[in-house]
Amino acid sequence: MAQNGSKVTRRQFLTYTLTGVGGFMAATLISPMVNFAIEPVLKKTGAGDKVKVMSLDDITTEPQRVDFKKQTQDAWYEFEETLSAWVYKTDSGEIIALSPICTHLGCQVAFAGDPTRPQEFFCPCHLGRYEKDGTNIPGTPPTAPLAR
Amino acid sequence: MLQKIYDWVDERVDITPLWRDIADHEVPEHVNPAHHFSAFVYCFGGLTFFTIVIQILSGMFLTMYYVPDIINAHASVYYLQNEIAHGQIVRGMHHWGASVAIVMLFLHTLRVFFTGSYKKPRELNWVVGVLLFFVVLALGLTGYLLPWDMKALFATKVTLQIAESVPVIGGIAKTLLAGGEIVGASTLARFFAIHVFFLPAALFGLLGAHFLMIRKQGVSGPL
Amino acid sequence: MHRGKGMKFVTDSRVGISNRKQNIAKDYSEYPGRTEAFWPNFLLKEWMVGSVFLIGFIALTIVEAPPLQNIADPTNTSYIPLPDWYFLFLYQLLKYQFAAGDWILLGTVIIPGLAFTALLVAPWLDQGLERRPAKRPVAISFMLLGILSVFYLTWESVQTTHWDQVHAQGELQIPGEGPEIDTAAPGYEIYSAQSCVNCHGQNLEGGAAAPALVGTQYTAEEIAEIAVNGVGTMPAGQWDGSDEDLQAMSEFIASYGEGGENNK
Repeated sequence: MAQNGSKVTRRQFLTYTLTGVGGFMAATLISPMVNFAIEPVLKKTGAGDKVKVMSLDDITTEPQRVDFKKQTQDAWYEFEETLSAWVYKTDSGEIIALSPICTHLGCQVAFAGDPTRPQEFFCPCHLGRYEKDGTNIPGTPPTAPLAR
Repeated sequence: MLQKIYDWVDERVDITPLWRDIADHEVPEHVNPAHHFSAFVYCFGGLTFFTIVIQILSGMFLTMYYVPDIINAHASVYYLQNEIAHGQIVRGMHHWGASVAIVMLFLHTLRVFFTGSYKKPRELNWVVGVLLFFVVLALGLTGYLLPWDMKALFATKVTLQIAESVPVIGGIAKTLLAGGEIVGASTLARFFAIHVFFLPAALFGLLGAHFLMIRKQGVSGPL
Repeated sequence: MHRGKGMKFVTDSRVGISNRKQNIAKDYSEYPGRTEAFWPNFLLKEWMVGSVFLIGFIALTIVEAPPLQNIADPTNTSYIPLPDWYFLFLYQLLKYQFAAGDWILLGTVIIPGLAFTALLVAPWLDQGLERRPAKRPVAISFMLLGILSVFYLTWESVQTTHWDQVHAQGELQIPGEGPEIDTAAPGYEIYSAQSCVNCHGQNLEGGAAAPALVGTQYTAEEIAEIAVNGVGTMPAGQWDGSDEDLQAMSEFIASYGEGGENNK
C-alpha cells in the first residue's frame, strides 16, 4: 500500500493516530487515580501545634521527663496520642525540650539512664549516649543529636 | 532497540501469531459506523467493556483507602471523597460507572436480541453473556452496601428478606449472605469479599470466554 | 506448523526454528468489499467513540458528587429503604397485591425467575434460523413485553416514591458542622414536650416524615402558625399549650432557621 515518495504509509499513520487516541484515553482515566493514590506524598504536613506541657516554674536545670497528650489525626481516625519529652533549663535560662526517641533505632532514651554517667542521656538498646544538650557522643551508635 | 527486544522475545516464545491474529482479523462493513451510521448499535458491547475497565481500575484505587468495617467504612468513604485529591472523581467514576455499565449492558443485550445474533452457532455465547449480566447486577447489589450509609443498610435488609422468602433454602441463603442473623459487621466483610474477589473472578472468567467465542465465531452477518 | 519428526526446535523449546511467522500485516487491498483490519483501522474508530464517551463520563464525575448518606443506624425505624435505580422494577413488583402477602413467592421467585430463565435459554426458545426482527414476531413481542413491563414498573416506582422525603432522610450530617442545639433552652423543653420532636427529631434534623427545622425559611410568626394549623403533610391541631409557650418555641426554632442567630 505504500505510495511512492511518501515515507509514512497509511497503516503507519493510522497506527500512530490510534496510539495517540489510546494514550489520551489512558491518561484521562489514570491521571485522577494516580493523583488519588499519591496524595500522601503530595500532602504538606502542617507545622506541629504547641501543647502546654508543664508550667515554667517547674522547669529545673535537671532534665525531667514529662508526658503530654496531643490531638492527632490519622486519616479518618482522631485520637489523643500520648507523647513525652525531656525538659530542662540551661544555666543561661534557655528552655530545652528533647525528644526521647533515640536517633539510632527509635528506642526511648533516659537521662542518667546509666548510673555511671549521671549527666548523659542513655539509650538502653544499643548503649547509645548523648550529652545533656542532646548531642550524640561519637563512638556510640547514634548518628545524630536528639530532636529538640 | 524496541525491535531487538521484540525479536529476542519472539524468537523464544513466538508471540507474533498471538497478536497478529487479533490485529488482522477483518471487521465486516455492516458493523462499522463509518459505513452505516446505524451500525453504532454495535458499539455498545465495546463501551460496556470500556466501562468495566473503568470500574476495575477505579475500584482498585478505592481499596487503597476503603476499609470494610462497620465503624470505619463510612468514615473512610467520607475521607477519601472529601479529603483526598480527586477523591470525588475516583469515587464518582466507580459510583456512576456502575449505572453506566448497567445501561450499556442493557443496550448491548437488546442489540444482540433484536439482530437475532444469539442463534446457532452463538447460543453458548449468549448464555455466557446473560451470566455476565447477572454477575454485573450482583456486583451492583453488593457494592451498594459498602459505603455503609443509611440507604445501603436498609436496602440490603430488604434484599436479604427477599432471599429469605425463597422456599426451602431461603433461611440458609439469608444467613449465608448476612454471615449471621443480622445485617452487621460480618455482612459488610462478606459483601466486600464477594464484591472485590469472588464476583470479579467470575467476571474475568466469563469475559475471557465471551471474547474467545467472538474471535472464534466472528460477528454475526448482516441482516 | 508441522509436528512430529523432523521438526527443528529453538534449543529445547517447541518454537520452530525456521518457520516463525513473519510480522507482516495482512494486505486487505486484495479483499473485495469494505472489510477492514481490526488493528489499526477499526480500533481507531472504536477508540474515538470511546474518547467522546470518556470525556462525557469524566465531566459527569466532576459535576456530580457521588451521594453519601449518614452512617448506617440500625435503630432508625422510620427509614424507607430504596434500592439502586436498576432494581426499582423488582422493588415495585413486590408492591402489587398479586405479588405480596400470600403470593409473595410469585413476586420474589416465580416471576423474576421465569423471566431470567427465559432470557438465559432464549436461543432454544427461539430456534428458527430467521434473524430479522420482522420475521420472528413471537420472540420479539415477548421481548418488547418484557422491556415495556420493566420500564413501566420503574416508571411507576419513580412516580410513587416521595423523592423529597427520600433525599431528606439519612442526609449526611457532618459532626461539628451544623448548629449545636441548646437542649437546655426553655424553647427546646416545649419542643420536646409537644409532639414536634417525634417527627422533626432530637436535633431539629428532620426525618422521613418531616423536614429539618434547622435552616428553615419561616419566621417565628409563621412557625407558630404552622405549629397550630399544620402545613403540607403536617396535620393541624398538634399544638397543645399556652400562647406564651408557643411564642417561646417558635422563636427558639426560628433562631436556628435561615439567618437565625444560632444557625452557624
